[in-house]
Parts: sequence; structure tokens; C-alpha cells
Amino acid sequence: MPKVLIPTPLRQFTGKQDTVSVPGGTVGEVLGALTARYPDLRKQIFTDEGKVRSFVNVYLNDEDIRYLGKDATAAQESDTISLVPSIAGGSTVTAPPETTADAAALSNDEILRYSRHLILPEVGIEGQRKLKAAKVLLVGAGGLGAPLGLYLAAAGIGRIGIVDFDVVDVTNLQRQVIHFSSDVGRKKLDSAAEKMLAINPRLSVVKYETALTSENALAILKDYDLVVDGTDNFPTRYLVNDACVLLGKPNVYGSIFRFEGQATIFAYRGGPCYRCLYPEPPPPGLVPSCAEGGVLGILPGTIGLIQATETVKLILGIGEPLVGRLLLYDALGMRFRELKLRKNPECPVCGEHPTITRLIDYHQFCGVPAPATPAQETQVNEGEIDVTEVKAKMDRGEDFVLLDVREPHEYKIAAISGSRLIPLGEVSKRLGELDPKADIVVHCKSGMRSAKACAILRQAGFERVRNMKGGILAWSDRVDRGVPKY
Amino acid sequence: MIRIEPEPWAAMLAHARQVYPDECCGVMLGISENGAKSVSAALPLENSFEGPRAARYELRPEDLIAAEKAARGRNLDLIGIYHSHPDCDAYFSQTDLKNSCPWYSFVVLSIRGGEFHHANSWLPNFEQTEAAGEELIY
Repeated sequence: MPKVLIPTPLRQFTGKQDTVSVPGGTVGEVLGALTARYPDLRKQIFTDEGKVRSFVNVYLNDEDIRYLGKDATAAQESDTISLVPSIAGGSTVTAPPETTADAAALSNDEILRYSRHLILPEVGIEGQRKLKAAKVLLVGAGGLGAPLGLYLAAAGIGRIGIVDFDVVDVTNLQRQVIHFSSDVGRKKLDSAAEKMLAINPRLSVVKYETALTSENALAILKDYDLVVDGTDNFPTRYLVNDACVLLGKPNVYGSIFRFEGQATIFAYRGGPCYRCLYPEPPPPGLVPSCAEGGVLGILPGTIGLIQATETVKLILGIGEPLVGRLLLYDALGMRFRELKLRKNPECPVCGEHPTITRLIDYHQFCGVPAPATPAQETQVNEGEIDVTEVKAKMDRGEDFVLLDVREPHEYKIAAISGSRLIPLGEVSKRLGELDPKADIVVHCKSGMRSAKACAILRQAGFERVRNMKGGILAWSDRVDRGVPKY
Repeated sequence: MIRIEPEPWAAMLAHARQVYPDECCGVMLGISENGAKSVSAALPLENSFEGPRAARYELRPEDLIAAEKAARGRNLDLIGIYHSHPDCDAYFSQTDLKNSCPWYSFVVLSIRGGEFHHANSWLPNFEQTEAAGEELIY
């Protein structure tokens, strides 16, 4: 007998059977016999007039009987008949009625999930709904962004935007806990969004795979209630600050360096902004990045969570916001200190007579070159030398000095054999140890400090000085993988 | 009442965001007991509507047959259909109604500017003249 496959919702009418064998020589006869055996099924498949309902397609094996012989299609013993609903739709045709759902209402599941918040009278249902309705932008999915993303997702923020264009590197894992070992090589955006949605699937994550620039910052920031700055460089920090001041959005600020961190809220109504504190950026290169200066892996956790706390407090409107106060954290001394910050009436962006009324070129302002394009990164300029050329010089047995200007503890981690160590800070004092006529190649970790050392040497009259492009990292990548990267 | 577990819910939202500004569609697998439905898996399907898909969707019957088969293989039932309304509320439109089927829950996701806004579940009648709202928990 031909078999009829019963769709899930109809099995209640067939005594839970998902397959029923009924006699019949045509599809029409089979369906007639089926509905005769299970009368309740009839209404589901046929209209009162006995026609197959418009939403039911009848398939014989994998063919629609409309294109075969319709009801009269012959059904063999081995055939399978399927009842397939016809489903389509769309938002068109009628004008939509008023919004039927309150976006910030809490379902019973959410009430359970956030119960430890709800029983805090300072939060309560109202507060949790505020969190759900809130839109927070994270600039950066790195050290600070990692704890921020995890905790803000868990806390029930409705929408979190993330701006980041980086990929997860193995050196990130020591502190960027939102990224796992298996994420190395993935976009930080994807890795972070995945973890945040795993924690809280109701969260809406908006990914901006771009650097924040003067061209896109206002368009990205305008959709958010507040901005959390998790950046690691001065141009972006000034850009975030200025954009927040211009748009009137609070900027929850944090920064980290080695064992110390800072946090405060800038651009809050009536409060100071980043430029009130630092009208001018430091000279380029004075403040090392985490890659150059190192950072205790736990430090961004502490600072990022202070930022997360202030973010949640601002949304809830509770407590005393960290406005007009710069919180300083010293992990080695395990001390918090506070500095009073005042709004500067002369501030060029938030003062009484602002001179900055739109976003400027922040790389120029900070005196640092715009991020190199991939082509520029590999291009070897005047005064530079490629790692492979340095290796070739060695192999040819040329007489030259390979000068390493890193710190002794870095030298212990990795060194190029035959190199000579004079840390950058000692170069000007120890010029006497070097022959001004010698062929000198200078290297450091990535090329920044060695560029400065080259400048010092050239100024002192050394003529044959070249900077090894990309430093020991490039050496490890392209010459000797046996030299560890750090 | 239909309850959607976090994993399928995240998959549905991701699907809706991914195909925005077009409409997405797919099926929900799970179990149904005494009118209480619980969705434990979502299966994104292709919107096979031939024409602009920003305000229309269509499910291929073959895909539904395959989805039904997949559900049986996982010891689950096909209990609902989902689709998105880009930049539009999660109501059950006339188009939805006229092409619906009373056997299933129809979850509509409102996506605004590429992001999830709200959602509703609907139970259309046999005559395709009305759809009752169904409590949706996610």
C-alpha cells in the first residue's frame, strides 16, 4: 500500500503515527481512505466542499501532483505521499498597524535571568528595562573591550556596537579574555560577538569592521547612548573624545600601562573632557603601547570593569558617577587614588568658545603617521634595511655591527646571535663604544626604538647606519623561526 | 505559548540580520505538548521568492520536506515557521495570512536598520482570514 507521511502537527489526529499506509490506486483515493480512517484529519486537509485546502501541496515522492495527474495521479505500492504546506508571506500589502510589542518589556525568562538585579531596589524592573533599552558603543574589542563586552552582555544591555578591525593574535590571549586560543586568526569582532551572544542571546551586537575615523565617527556614534573608549592610541582617543563632545554623549574612558590604569567619564554634561585634562597629545613615541611597554594581563580586566560599572550606573542613573574625578589604579601598590578634574573654560572643544567644531585629522594632530597600508608596511625606505638583506650580509661574512637597542630582559627572551646590546636609553652615553665609520644595522622589537637610535647615531656623526625594518619580529617571521616572538 | 531556546533564537536573529534588508525565512524544530511549544533548533532556509525579497518570502516545498525529514532524524518535530520583516513591525500581514498554514506557529521578527527590534508569534486560522497572537518567550 502507498505510504502517507504525516506532518508533525497532524500526528495528533493519526494516533501519533508519522507514517500511515492506506489502500488506493490514485492519490485521490489514498487521501480519501486516509481521511476516512482518521476523520479529524479531514478538516485539516480538505475544505467543506471537499477540495484540498489551498495551503496544502500534495507530493507523490518528490513531485507535486499538480504537475502530474492531480487527484487522478496513479499511486503505486512503493510510492510515498507527502502533505506539504505551502508557505510564503511578506511585510507588504497592508500598512503596518501601530507597534504591538514594547521593545523594552521583560519576558518571564528575562525576569528570571536578571533576578539578582531585579531584587536590588536601585535597579528593579524599571532599571533592567533601561538596560534593555540602552545602546552602548565599545570602541575596541581588545584588552578593555574584552571584560566590557562580557559583562555588559551579561548585564542585559539591549544593544552593543563594537568598532574593531583587528584579528586575534596569540599575544592577545594573555589578557583579552573574550578571545580563546581557538580564535587566533579570526576577526576580533566575530570572536567577541560570538561569546557575548553565547552569554546573552537576547543581546543585539552590531559589528563595525573599520577603524574609527574622522569620516565615520559621527555616523557610528550617533545611534548610541554612550561610548566606552577601549582604544590603545592617542589619535583615536582624541577622536572619540571630540566626537562625544560634539554629539553630547558621555565617554566612559579607561587606559592601561604596564601595572597602572586610569578611568573616568568624559564629556558628561557639565563635566570635563579628555582635552580639558590633556590639551595636547604627548610627543609621539613617549608613551609606549602595550606591545612595546608590556602590560600585566589582569590590569585591563580591572580597568575595563570599572568602565563597565560606570556604564551601567550611568544608564540606571544611580550612584555617584566618576565625573570630574580621574581614578588612578596602581596594581603593584594595590592602591586607588583620585585626582580632581575640572572643566577647562578655555578647552578648544568643550570650553566656552570652542575652536574645534568638527572632527579634525587626528593622526596629524598627534604627530603620528596614519596606519600604514600593507604595501607601505613591506616597503623598505631610505635608511632602512630588510631582514633578509641583513641575513645575506651575515652569510657573506660582511663586517658590520648588528646593534640591538632593546632592554636586557627582552634580550633574554629572544636575541639574534652576533648582535650587540645597548638599550636605547644608554645609546647616547655609550657612543664611544661604537666606531663612527662602521657599518651599523640597528634593531629592536618592531622597529620603533631602533628608528630613534638611528636618529641619535646619525646626529652624532655616524654615517653608515640603517634601521632593520620590522625588528626581531620580522626576523622571526622571515629569517629564523627559531627566534621566538614575544 | 511558544518558547524559543537561546541557541535557536540567536540563530534566527543572526539569519535575519545576515539577509537584511531582505526577508529571511526558516523553520523551528522542537517539541509540542498540550499547546506548549518549545523550540530547540532553528533551520534557516532559502527565501525562494522570485523577485525583490525585501518584502516577500517563499519557502520551497522541497525544503520543507527536507526540514521535516531532518526533524524526524533528530527526534524533533517541525513546529513553526519564522520569517523577518525588515524595517517593519512584526505583525501578520495580509500576504502572510493568505499564504499561511494553521498547522504551525509563525514567528515574525522585526528588524530595523539591520538590528533586531521585536518579535511576535501568530497562529493563523484554517480560513486564512485571521491570525491570533501567541505568547512568545525567548
